[in-house]
Amino acid sequence: MGRVECGQAFLQVREGDQVGPLVKEITQEAINLFEGSAGHSGPSQFTDEEAARETLGTSGTVASGRMSVSFALELMRRHFGSDVFNHTGMVDLRFIRPVRPGDTITFTGEVTGTSREANGLKVNVKVEAQNQRGDTTGVGSGSAIVPNAYLPPEE
Amino acid sequence: MVEVDSRIPLDWDALEVGETFEKYEYTLTQEMIDEYRRGVMDPEAAFPTISHKVDVRQFNAKYSDNGSVNARCAFHCYNSPIPGKRLTVTAWVADKYLRRGKNYIVTEATSVDQDGRLIDRVITHELKQPSEVGKKWGG
Repeated sequence: MGRVECGQAFLQVREGDQVGPLVKEITQEAINLFEGSAGHSGPSQFTDEEAARETLGTSGTVASGRMSVSFALELMRRHFGSDVFNHTGMVDLRFIRPVRPGDTITFTGEVTGTSREANGLKVNVKVEAQNQRGDTTGVGSGSAIVPNAYLPPEE
Repeated sequence: MVEVDSRIPLDWDALEVGETFEKYEYTLTQEMIDEYRRGVMDPEAAFPTISHKVDVRQFNAKYSDNGSVNARCAFHCYNSPIPGKRLTVTAWVADKYLRRGKNYIVTEATSVDQDGRLIDRVITHELKQPSEVGKKWGG
């Protein structure tokens, strides 16, 4: 596998490389900001306990799965650099358990392989999110294509 | 005054994969970006578009149902949106499936800004029986 340059730093890409961790403490305020940023101001399963009880049957609110996707995007962007990840990156998460206010979620990744693409080296990453009890809340994958221009000449 | 819900009650069996919704347009403001970044605790977060849930917005505007729970979501980054630019979203029903007796709908959307820059693509699998969350995970 090749050595890639992301921003100013060189990164040796090998299968098994660790990505992260990234730790997030989930608060109701953060959830409200996330929802409010898009103008979702009415009561919902994310912002209102009664709505959560009615819709989901839970005793409290939950965080949108899209918040977890946002955190996974950050995990990957920090690893690959915004100049690469914000143009070629992706994440794909399945939501296993609810994330609730008060939870501390740790996102981790592991490089599972690389492949040559027409426009660079595609790096595949297994992504997982766990809460403070060690329960998996989300699992999936991500990838970024490191452009050929960022790669050192082949030896 | 009581608002009349003119939406169509969702008939999962009749829903057609490939149905494309009316385009949705909005302007992403700096205020929206700042609020999103505070919410995700990431001052460099580049894709606040994800909180707008644009892939299901037009679906929810057309169909009424018992709500939904996000079961899976994929997000592809192409170009960070620029504050003040108008975004046009094209969304469609990408798939639907039945798993363990539960109905899922997959929606997909792409966002393009007023200069023609492709911003992102989002694909979401929604479970259409949201009360299953409470049954499985309790309070």
